[in-house]
Amino acid sequence: MIRSDSKADRPERSVSLFPLFSKPVLEWLFWVLLAAMVYSLTGNFDETIAEYRFGATGWPRVLCAALAFGASGQLIYKLTRSQPAGTAAGTKAPEAEVPAEVLTFRAGLQRIGVFAAPFVYLYVMPEIGFYVATPFFVLAILLLLEVKRPRILAGVTLVVYGLVLLIFTRFFYVALPVGHIESFYDINNWIIVLVRTGM
Amino acid sequence: MIDFINGTAALFGDPTAVMLFGLGLIGGMLFGAIPGVNMLTLGAVLLPFTISMEANHAVMLFSVIYCSGVFGGAITAILFNIPGAPENAPTCFDGYPMTVQGKSGKAIGAAVSCSAIGGVASAIVMMAATPLIAGWAVRAFGPQEIFCLIFFGLVVSASIGAETLWKGWLSVFVGLMIATIGTDPVGGVPRFSGGSLLGFEFSSYYLSAGIHFIPVILGFFAVSEVFIQAMSIAEGKRKRPKASLEFPTVAEFWSVRFTIVRSMILGFFAGILPGIGATLAAFLGYSQAVRWSKTPERFGKGELAGVVASETANNAATGAAMIPLLALGLPGGALTAMIMGIFQIHGMEPGPLIFMNSKELVWVTFAAMFWANLCILFLGWLQTKTVVHILNVPFRWLAPGILLLATIGAFALRNLTIDVWVMFLAGAVGFFLRRTGYSAAGIVLGLILGKLGESAFAKSMQLMDYDFFGFFSRPICAFLLIAGMFAILSSVWSEIRGRELQKALID
Repeated sequence: MIRSDSKADRPERSVSLFPLFSKPVLEWLFWVLLAAMVYSLTGNFDETIAEYRFGATGWPRVLCAALAFGASGQLIYKLTRSQPAGTAAGTKAPEAEVPAEVLTFRAGLQRIGVFAAPFVYLYVMPEIGFYVATPFFVLAILLLLEVKRPRILAGVTLVVYGLVLLIFTRFFYVALPVGHIESFYDINNWIIVLVRTGM
Repeated sequence: MIDFINGTAALFGDPTAVMLFGLGLIGGMLFGAIPGVNMLTLGAVLLPFTISMEANHAVMLFSVIYCSGVFGGAITAILFNIPGAPENAPTCFDGYPMTVQGKSGKAIGAAVSCSAIGGVASAIVMMAATPLIAGWAVRAFGPQEIFCLIFFGLVVSASIGAETLWKGWLSVFVGLMIATIGTDPVGGVPRFSGGSLLGFEFSSYYLSAGIHFIPVILGFFAVSEVFIQAMSIAEGKRKRPKASLEFPTVAEFWSVRFTIVRSMILGFFAGILPGIGATLAAFLGYSQAVRWSKTPERFGKGELAGVVASETANNAATGAAMIPLLALGLPGGALTAMIMGIFQIHGMEPGPLIFMNSKELVWVTFAAMFWANLCILFLGWLQTKTVVHILNVPFRWLAPGILLLATIGAFALRNLTIDVWVMFLAGAVGFFLRRTGYSAAGIVLGLILGKLGESAFAKSMQLMDYDFFGFFSRPICAFLLIAGMFAILSSVWSEIRGRELQKALID
């Protein structure tokens, strides 16, 4: 079973259990660590610029300090806000709590799939080419969005793919990846030639 | 006035000019509305053909594309949360929530009308005062003033779309930080593209080019929207927005009259300044609408004034952007740079003398921009009647198309796959930002203005011999800095007051 990340109840619970690991503190820690990491990265280009006293690192380092300052301001604001109002952890009225939502295994997989599909598409696209990868991507997204009827799956894939080919390949000559693997490279180029027939 | 009438007569008395006018108008609208391409794509495609055109026709065509292209991007921003161009990004904040509430007709109607109002007003001021304003603005605005204007713009826009002031500021800082990736604007030193972190060596030549803001915008707005809708479908919570043809009423327009006037003025002045242009104009217009509203809490949830402010300001910037180009030969953005190219192709030099040497060209251009903005009103209303019906198509069918358009738009920008990675990562980050109360708009604004701000700051420091107080010796800088600081203090005060009010209510 996968529990949803409903934001209403989780932070409050963590505050009540262990203040050091409350959401505001963890958020502060994230920003400060990010600022520290960026600051340490600026050491890689800490070069003197003859005509500019602050050098290449001046501006990014000021931003790191500003980020840490902003995160600290936010932490102080959140900690002082929750205490007097009596809404700190554990004191929240039970009726205000949002019941935790339970998702099925299938819905959980669907969620992960929606996030993962574009990255998988992007990973394989440079290898097998835009023109080969795209119809499968369109089909995958439709299936993840619960389109089940084969006729609609085929129709939408054809229309979207066809329009993209027509507008961007035939009319605008947009150069899209054709793949590194030889056989896919040939297929991609064949599709391009086919789409531009008669031009 | 006589010059304007002559310009209009020359425009509509020539069948070729009329044909090019119509082509530019419809082409600009279409290209502005398709997320993968924009008016610059159309401009780039048409630029080689201008060699065989008359100079009058070519400059007029590009001016019309500029006006209609800035408007076109509002349609997809309102219907699908995909801004056609960066200057339409603030239109998403309230335009899309209006669509979700079944008020797409009102949102598009307001965008159409206010784009036309902003553009027409800007064209009128452009005709009346080009040499005067251009001379003043360019003399009075050095790097110091540009830096202070960016500071002011960031300060007043920081809290847009954020849950709290702090979250707004943190978002802006992140945007500014992302903008530092690439090369340093003074010495050209590569930053964050290689080196070591905790003993791990890394190097990426892609990062030397920096992170472009277009993929980030597409990710934050378009891709994250698809993720959010997909989650709603997975959870069985999604409601389809209703297509509506109900336009804003006269009373509704009357209630936002001050927003229109304010955004017009802001848009116009932002448009004059080279490099600032319509994007900051739209953000400034929006943030000031929030600031002066009696119901600021409604912004971001489908407030008509939000759409009005953003669209009036970005179109008001179009006429203004022509002022430094024509009067001083200074292009402020990519499309005005193309127009500059047309002048050079035809052996002409824009500048004060153009008003004497090529008077007809100047007035045909002015007249074309004026009439193009008026035509937006009528064509736009016609478009509203048809385009909102796209909402009747189920989102599940549209989602793959939206993702593909965004993918092609990000890739075609520089032919780099890294831009598409950035876009999808921004989409995932944007999804979580929306859930945690941070502001995607703040990050985008920081990213857009970061490089320009750093460059202006560095030049200012060099010019003022590293004296920070030198800013206060320049009246415009002093005004902008004090206004910015006042804005910070008043935001902090309202945040504290809000907290006290909350406490009092609970007590």
